[in-house]
Amino acid sequence: MSGWDWIASHLTDIAAATRDHVVLTIIAVGVGFAISFALALLIHRDRRAYAPVTAVAGLLYTIPSLALFAILVPITGLSVLTAEIGLVSYTLLILVRNIVAGLDAVPPEAREAAAGMGYSALGRLLRVELPLALPVIVAGLRIATVTTIGLVMVTALIGEGGLGQLMLRGFTLQNYTAVYVGTALSVALAVAADLLFLGALRLATPWRRARER
Amino acid sequence: MNPPAGPATPHRGGATVEFQHVTKRYGPVTAGPGAVNDLSLQVPAGKICVLVGPSGCGKTTSLKMVNRLIEPTGGRILIDGADVAAEEPTALRRRIGYVIQQVGLFPHQTIGENVATVPRLLGWAPARQRERTDELLALVGLEPGLHRDRYPYQLSGGERQRIGVARALAADPPVMLMDEPFGAVDPIVRERLQNEFLRLQKGLAKTILFVTHDIDEAIKMGDLVAVMHSGGTLARFGTPSEILADPASDFVARFVGADRGLKRLSLTRVRDVPLAPALTAQPGDDAADARSRVAADPFGHLLLVDALDHPIGWLDPRKLPTSGTLETSMAVPMSPLLEPETTLKDALSMLLDADVQAGIAVDPEGRVLGLLTVDTIAGLLNRR
Repeated sequence: MSGWDWIASHLTDIAAATRDHVVLTIIAVGVGFAISFALALLIHRDRRAYAPVTAVAGLLYTIPSLALFAILVPITGLSVLTAEIGLVSYTLLILVRNIVAGLDAVPPEAREAAAGMGYSALGRLLRVELPLALPVIVAGLRIATVTTIGLVMVTALIGEGGLGQLMLRGFTLQNYTAVYVGTALSVALAVAADLLFLGALRLATPWRRARER
Repeated sequence: MNPPAGPATPHRGGATVEFQHVTKRYGPVTAGPGAVNDLSLQVPAGKICVLVGPSGCGKTTSLKMVNRLIEPTGGRILIDGADVAAEEPTALRRRIGYVIQQVGLFPHQTIGENVATVPRLLGWAPARQRERTDELLALVGLEPGLHRDRYPYQLSGGERQRIGVARALAADPPVMLMDEPFGAVDPIVRERLQNEFLRLQKGLAKTILFVTHDIDEAIKMGDLVAVMHSGGTLARFGTPSEILADPASDFVARFVGADRGLKRLSLTRVRDVPLAPALTAQPGDDAADARSRVAADPFGHLLLVDALDHPIGWLDPRKLPTSGTLETSMAVPMSPLLEPETTLKDALSMLLDADVQAGIAVDPEGRVLGLLTVDTIAGLLNRR
């Protein structure tokens, strides 16, 4: 059976693996962003939270992924939950740092003008600070997403893994077509996600787009 | 600039602003930079009060206590008799205009969105916001169609400052706080913005608290000037001419500078002083007759003017022909032309630059009004 024949006869499997990969990534980055956003706002309000939050996130980031899953499997089993706990943990450091950096980069005079003209604290955050922090926040999301797409592969070892499953089976059965397909598609996913974020950022920040001209 | 008009500016004029024993301390014992010590002063409605002083004298702190960006340690600030502490800060700030040195335009919003900030916060209908925005852009001298949809970085520094003023005026606040509003532009643009703003204020009659460290700007912009001392005390409060004529303390005298006599000249304009009548003649007049008229005149110079009374140049009496008629070619280059709005300080400087004893005052149509001499200016300096 040639490689192309294998692909043709396994389109459904490939599509399912790709879909799983995307879903695992979206959940990980989505949940990671929600947690990081809350932590970043906490830090934005009270700087003293910065050191402990980044210390914990940094610690999580340094745990090797296989070791982390080895710790979790006895507790949460071979499940999506186990995979996501690991994946989410790895996004926190990047996202918290970038959201805080984005909010820090808001020009102080814009912040002062907003306060002086009668924005409420929430209105100022939503209408002035977050839009201005958006480029740095999206930069963090791009790194976190691309990293997560790579890490999802590893979760194949605990029965998840999306395209990682495809590759793992390929290695086991010495079916290198499956390995190549898994590799190519994961790279394609990473590139597509990156371009998607870039495009969305350009649409959301016409004030920056105009500046580039 | 057009005068403000239309239903979007229903009420003009300002409100009184009063500081009553206002104190701000940043530590339990030491006053520290930015502290304010028992500040009491009253700004009548529609007047510009400039707070001026060395850095750290508490002028910006005083300003920010009016819109409660900083809360005082003691004392009260009243707007039209009402304590600002009794009002919810965001509501208070929406009815007080606020302009800062770095302007603080929102870079992610268009000029139109920036200007409409407070109307939007107040929940005006979009059509009314837009109408008001265009009106304000025109008011500060920017073509609405050209600027409304641009972004702040696409404007020059001077244009940004104008937008900052327009944005502060958007909801027609009775009180404006301006913290070095023209500090971030070069001197030429600053001069123009100051003049534009003074012209604007004539029609708006807002009550304005204006912070600067530049005594010349204070004298130029202020109806009232509050000179503040390090430590946040009020050293002197009065009109610019009162303060220049009588600084009342060494600190204020030093702060206004050794040239306060000259600065006083910047408060007086050509239209405010008596002009010497100009001895004039027209081309074609009899030369001998002109000679005898000059001989009888104490100033001893003859000004050649055309049929519309526009000055052409001076005639040197020693070089006048003994007979025949006066010709345009006999006139020598002119003294500086002074307009009624020219300050005496500028006039004196122009006279010294041109190395002449007298400037020709002309009306807006360019007709000769009379002569302003260096002696007249010196006489004013000696008075008082």
